[in-house]
Amino acid sequence: MPSKPNIPSIQLGDYIVIQRQKYTKLQKFGSLDATATLGKEHLELKSLLDQPYGSTFKMCVKESKAGKRGAQRQHTLELVSENELRSIRDVLNISSSGADNRDISDNGEAQALKSEDIEQLREECSESSKIIEKLVENSKTFHTRTEYSQDKYLLKKEKKYFEFVQIRQPSIRLMADIFHRQDAEKIMGIRVDTLSQIISYSGVCGFGSYLLYESGTNGLLPAAMLNSIGAATDATLVHMHPGNVPQKQALLALKLPLEQQQRCISVNLYSVLREFYQGDRKLDVSIATEAADATQTDENSATTSEEQTDAVEPTTKKPKLDESPNLNNRSGPLRWQVENKRASALMHEKFDNLVMAAKEHPTNIVEALLPLVKPSRPIVIFSTCKELLQETYMELKASGKVTNLHVTSNWLRTYQILPNRTHPEVNMSGNSGYLLTGYTLS
Amino acid sequence: MSFLKPKTHIEQGDVVILYLSVNSMHAIEAVPTIVNKKGETIVHIFQTPYGSLKVENIIGVEYGSRVELSKGYAHVLQPNPELWTQTLPHRTQIIYTPDISMILHQLEVRPGAVVIESGTGSGSLSHYFLRALKPTGHLHTFDFHEARADQAREEFRRHGLGDFVTVYHRDVCNLGFTNELDGVADAVFLDLPAPDLAVPHAFKALKLSGGRFCSFSPCIEQSQRCIEVLTKLGFNEICSMEVLQQESVIKTRTLPVIDLEFLKAPKEVETNTNEDAKTKEPKELKKYLTSSNPQVLPGHTGFLTFATLPPNIPKA
Repeated sequence: MPSKPNIPSIQLGDYIVIQRQKYTKLQKFGSLDATATLGKEHLELKSLLDQPYGSTFKMCVKESKAGKRGAQRQHTLELVSENELRSIRDVLNISSSGADNRDISDNGEAQALKSEDIEQLREECSESSKIIEKLVENSKTFHTRTEYSQDKYLLKKEKKYFEFVQIRQPSIRLMADIFHRQDAEKIMGIRVDTLSQIISYSGVCGFGSYLLYESGTNGLLPAAMLNSIGAATDATLVHMHPGNVPQKQALLALKLPLEQQQRCISVNLYSVLREFYQGDRKLDVSIATEAADATQTDENSATTSEEQTDAVEPTTKKPKLDESPNLNNRSGPLRWQVENKRASALMHEKFDNLVMAAKEHPTNIVEALLPLVKPSRPIVIFSTCKELLQETYMELKASGKVTNLHVTSNWLRTYQILPNRTHPEVNMSGNSGYLLTGYTLS
Repeated sequence: MSFLKPKTHIEQGDVVILYLSVNSMHAIEAVPTIVNKKGETIVHIFQTPYGSLKVENIIGVEYGSRVELSKGYAHVLQPNPELWTQTLPHRTQIIYTPDISMILHQLEVRPGAVVIESGTGSGSLSHYFLRALKPTGHLHTFDFHEARADQAREEFRRHGLGDFVTVYHRDVCNLGFTNELDGVADAVFLDLPAPDLAVPHAFKALKLSGGRFCSFSPCIEQSQRCIEVLTKLGFNEICSMEVLQQESVIKTRTLPVIDLEFLKAPKEVETNTNEDAKTKEPKELKKYLTSSNPQVLPGHTGFLTFATLPPNIPKA
């Protein structure tokens, strides 16, 4: 008997990934009363506490309220073992199928059950397999469908009535997928292939000191870089952002060890550059101007994307709250001042790469940050539009400070691979964004 | 030793990328002398289209510097997996950066990860795995070709990566990944002609807490057979994809703008006012910053099949 594997358990305050079939969602498990919403289903998360990640839970209807668009159901979650999950085809024991669809016509009469009957079934049955069984029983055409068509029918119904959810631990892979599917704009349209290449081309790893400027990716880019930097290594990341408070959702969701989190130094682009060039000159004055500066820049970024600040979960604003008591009793420097000092020290040492994903025009930012990078180091600049990178490409080429310049984009195609039914997926993403890559020279 | 961590100056024994142009770069070893085919020790001179380089002269030079050649110049860059992939001595077909990046992302490789790879091939992917998992992880890489395995082992050692990798000469399809590796891996990567034969071994090698799997295969039939076995063994999240990278060729183009309006007027007008015709003479030129795709692109590299082994699947 092998020893029990060391799987972390779900704790209060964790971010969790809720998966229902192919649908995934990132959710904060902030308190025992927390609920998650999956379409019309509301899930009480209480029973997740202390269960191992990767567990599957059954949604059990607790109450059902009539809503504007159909019933809103409140569910409790019950831990289930894996073998309760069986293929729906096995459960229903389906044997006969047709050869082709010549006898099937779309006249709306195939299903004998009315929608009210189905609603009622849903209230009565706790198992999706029972509902689907009834649907199949009452379908006049099911058994004349081809085996493949039956599969498709069952999958479709299963998707609608599936009563199991799996709780998973957030990782960069799962979050990149969730963010891109839910609202690609909020991560600046950085697709999975492009994200993976940003990490490769930037060379970020467990050794070195790295520099990132990003203007809002829900924390995905700093999280991906910090993930590659790893726990218990020496590498550091200076994360520059244009706003008051960095977006950190993805970083928090990874639940990295404190020592690793502390190696990501998040600073405001303007105030850290002022710190770098002007240093201690006038600390008192800078406090006042800094605050003004930061709000101003925040407004700037708000014009490009108003929902950006809304995208940040309230919890991500915690650093700000931590600062306020400091502000009141004026004991010691503020947190952002400490971070600026740390970042500034690293800036004087110079960095081992430069990664940028800017909503602003990249040229001036590259110009300001390029002198902070050592020679023979990779730079990677992301943009959703090629035109911006074309200009930057030409400017960098003319400057002679960067070599091996390339602008690239990607095609990403996923495939359905099933016996006798292999083909590319019907939909594909059309925009990977563009990367400008190169190496600095001395 | 130049692959371990970022460094500033070339030391004796480093592999150095001599960068001539986008299409021309070479990996050279920074040693003052080499042994030639006749067994004689001679001064290390590297020949390029822009003349020769006395390699001894680059030792101690800062990475990123310009070095003079007898008929031109080049830049010296510190090697990394991207540059190495473009300059390494090919012993087999290799996988390139776009596919590799996706593999690393999907296999969730990060410092501390234990990864199994088969086959080692030319070590292109291995260098990426090693960058991602060092200093706390380990790579176990297998090849059934003895000379290739030996060459790879020696290369990793010279690149300063020897501590993080074990190279095995072994036929994994028939013999598996050795009993010592049962239940130790966070991720398994296969690039084999018959990946389906090695999937049961991958299953055994993955941790009981689960892990990720990837198979790279040029043909879809290989992926089909592989997926069949994966499904049977209880893997989930099975997903196949293809990644193709396109380069944008960026150029400033100057285009003449021709005037066709004057054709509407009778010709006499032109002959009457000879001076007007002359002022038209300097044709209008417009400058555009353009980008286009190259004539030939890679159209296919391979299908990447990923899967997850969920936790607590009994392996008896």
